[in-house]
Amino acid sequence: MSKLSEALANLEENTVSAIIKEQVAKHADPLTVMADLRKGMDIVGERYKAGEYFLSELIVSGEIFKEAINVLEPLLKKGAGGQATKVVLGTVKGDIHNIGKDIVGTLLKGAGFEVYDLGIDVPSKAFIDKLIETKAPILAMSGLLTPSFDSMKEVVEMVKEAGLRSKVKIIIGGGIVTELVQRHTGADAFTDDALEGVEMVKKLVKQLA
Amino acid sequence: MFLGIDTGGTYTDAVILDNKYRIVSSAKAFTTKHDLSIGINNAITSALPHPPPQINLVSLSSTLATNAIVEGKGSPVCLILIGYDRRTLAETEFHKLVSDKHIVFISGGHTVSGEEQAPLDVTAAQQAILKYAPQVSAFAISSYFSVRNPAHELTVKKMVRQLTNLPVTCGHELTTELDAPLRAITVVINARLISLMQQLIYKVREAMQKHGIRAPIMIVKGDGSLIDAAVALERPVETILSGPAASVIGALHLCKVKNGFVVDIGGTTTDVAMVENNTPTLNHQGAVVGGWQTMVEALNVHTTGLGGDSEVQVTPQGKLTVGPHRVVPLCNLATIYSYVTEELRRQLELNPGIDDGYFVMREREISGIEDNLTQKQLEIYARITREPVAILKLLEGADTPFYNKYSLGKLIEQGLVSISAFTPTDAVQVLGQYQVGVPAASQIGAQLLSRRLKIDTKTFCKRVFKQVVIQAGKIVLDSVIAEESPQQNSRHNHTGAQLFINRALGAEDKNRMDVRVALQYPLIGVGAPAVTYMKPLARRLNTGLLVPRHAEVANAVGSVVAGVIQHVRILVRKPAGIDNPYRVYAPTGPRDFIELEKAVAFARKTARRLVKLNALTAGAQRVRVYTKRKDEVMAVQDSYEHLGTEIVATAVGNPRGDTLQ
Repeated sequence: MSKLSEALANLEENTVSAIIKEQVAKHADPLTVMADLRKGMDIVGERYKAGEYFLSELIVSGEIFKEAINVLEPLLKKGAGGQATKVVLGTVKGDIHNIGKDIVGTLLKGAGFEVYDLGIDVPSKAFIDKLIETKAPILAMSGLLTPSFDSMKEVVEMVKEAGLRSKVKIIIGGGIVTELVQRHTGADAFTDDALEGVEMVKKLVKQLA
Repeated sequence: MFLGIDTGGTYTDAVILDNKYRIVSSAKAFTTKHDLSIGINNAITSALPHPPPQINLVSLSSTLATNAIVEGKGSPVCLILIGYDRRTLAETEFHKLVSDKHIVFISGGHTVSGEEQAPLDVTAAQQAILKYAPQVSAFAISSYFSVRNPAHELTVKKMVRQLTNLPVTCGHELTTELDAPLRAITVVINARLISLMQQLIYKVREAMQKHGIRAPIMIVKGDGSLIDAAVALERPVETILSGPAASVIGALHLCKVKNGFVVDIGGTTTDVAMVENNTPTLNHQGAVVGGWQTMVEALNVHTTGLGGDSEVQVTPQGKLTVGPHRVVPLCNLATIYSYVTEELRRQLELNPGIDDGYFVMREREISGIEDNLTQKQLEIYARITREPVAILKLLEGADTPFYNKYSLGKLIEQGLVSISAFTPTDAVQVLGQYQVGVPAASQIGAQLLSRRLKIDTKTFCKRVFKQVVIQAGKIVLDSVIAEESPQQNSRHNHTGAQLFINRALGAEDKNRMDVRVALQYPLIGVGAPAVTYMKPLARRLNTGLLVPRHAEVANAVGSVVAGVIQHVRILVRKPAGIDNPYRVYAPTGPRDFIELEKAVAFARKTARRLVKLNALTAGAQRVRVYTKRKDEVMAVQDSYEHLGTEIVATAVGNPRGDTLQ
């Protein structure tokens, strides 16, 4: 395991920041740095699952990761040549939970996606307007409460009515999202795990290609 | 007795059935594209026994709607879009269906839960109606989320009725599915077809009158059920794929088989439909016709431009292709114009060229504004008469042969002129499998093409025959692959998949690997040259072949034996939010209830009433109505959450003219 991954996994904020700065100064490949960071996040995720870490640690790791990404982002954009896939992201109407959504947003950015984060309690129409405006092929909706399923379904139906359903893949996420919810809402994929979510988004992009 | 008629791209068939649906007589005539009534009249004349029996019902299946869409025909319409975001239409090809100046955006429309999104701009609607009525032949109206609340569509429709005498169609009348751009396309295509459908029904009545037949006319819908002619006039788009649907229903009637692939190799197209458990599969995504995705529910028919009258071409690169364009076979043209054979003989004396063996003739007259021809196109059109002229001669001595040819292509596209050339019908003639028209014309046509490939005529014709079998096989495999793996079809350019399919069909040499497929269901051959191509096709696909008696008129039989079927779907759901009541999204508008069961009862009552009314309007009698309730619930922690209920009412009946059973 690299020093960077280890530092992130142990939530050593200052070490992570120092290594990143050093790497940037050395003109290291940002994708390699990114891979190390993600490895670190993987370990945090494992420890969370194992009960070693709690939600607070998860949030802190997300914050450290976000910080690191902010430094790396300019380099990443150069590398990707401005061809990044766009993702419209938000927590649906009637729900104000932002933790899961923020982690996914950060991870997606880290994986090279261009993320349009609409925030929390997002009116359904705002998702549609953003999709039309950006022509993003991915819509990611988050929600933690049962009524948010209805909001998600509403958005999916609005995507259909706008004639975008064949052009946009939809993923939903949140603590109590299940396959049943996915079927009910008419989304293409679901996850209750931020890291898995990023992998799924990658798969969905491939399906569209 | 019943009279069934099918007007296909090449043949018009007529069949007389007795009241037990047994075939009394049948006949085939050539379809006369410029005036369908001639072909219909000829077919009826040959099919009617003497003395003519009492006909109680005339049923018709027709490729009219399908062909019109494929060929981009239709009359000018005005499209009123209510509450649409212009940007959602940016990537659609609306300009091919309706001119930009006839698309009117006005504010209004509804939200996902059926609330008003913005008030309807009545003034703008009125202005548009008055302004464009003199320029168009019909109005098409589509409002945002009209399937959740049709109020604005209904208001504007009423205005069109009050201010004009023109036909008008609304989006919510054609579908209950979401997708505003697709609904707009469907409603525009529908409006464009109305005047063509009017002409067709008028022509059929004319032909009936000549024979003293007074009976109601029913038309086959793309889902294989019947509607009254008056309903078809309002919703002609529902008759797309009418011909193929009728041939599947006919095939099922003629040969009692549980599972199979109905393959109809006709003059113009090859259609394949899969039948499972005595039922043809439906395409719920909506039929695709001429590259247009519509929202019309139709039988899942896979169609390709391939048939006895397909154009056989030897490309400048020396490749042999068959289809997708329909032309008049040389042997048929030569029966009417004897100098065709002489001209072909003359061309044999000249150096080989890509225009060898092609003739062109006028198909219809130019209709003023609509055709919108360039100077060059007009000039060329003027030089083409009803009598065929060799393209070689038409281009002879031209200063701009390529420009001329390009302009000629446009004339063909618009259906102003038609082409005659070498076809598979000519090939089987040379091979001695089929006898029609003037064999010499086919023979020389084959010589003209085969010399460019430097092979003898027999080998050339065998290759043409094989090519038809291969292409028909691809469509059969397409229909299987689409069913088993919806994302794929043989046209996907996956090199590996192509290799397997080509080897399986014998399209390329075995080399190191031979591929054999074995279909688990038999092929059921219908249509004119059914047996000719079907035997080798069934062999290639390692499956059985059934060719029922009267297979050649299966579509006309199907148009009679089909029943009237109508569906109405109504959704009951709580709009997003917590304390809302249950909302019934009925075609008459949304209505709220506090209790779920009261809402469902209202939905059921409304659906039953509307579906029965629709069935009666569609020409049914002895209507039986069934309703199905589908609840969607989800376990959430310890309780069940109601997510929605769908009520589907289905009405089934016999056609009204059928009084003898």
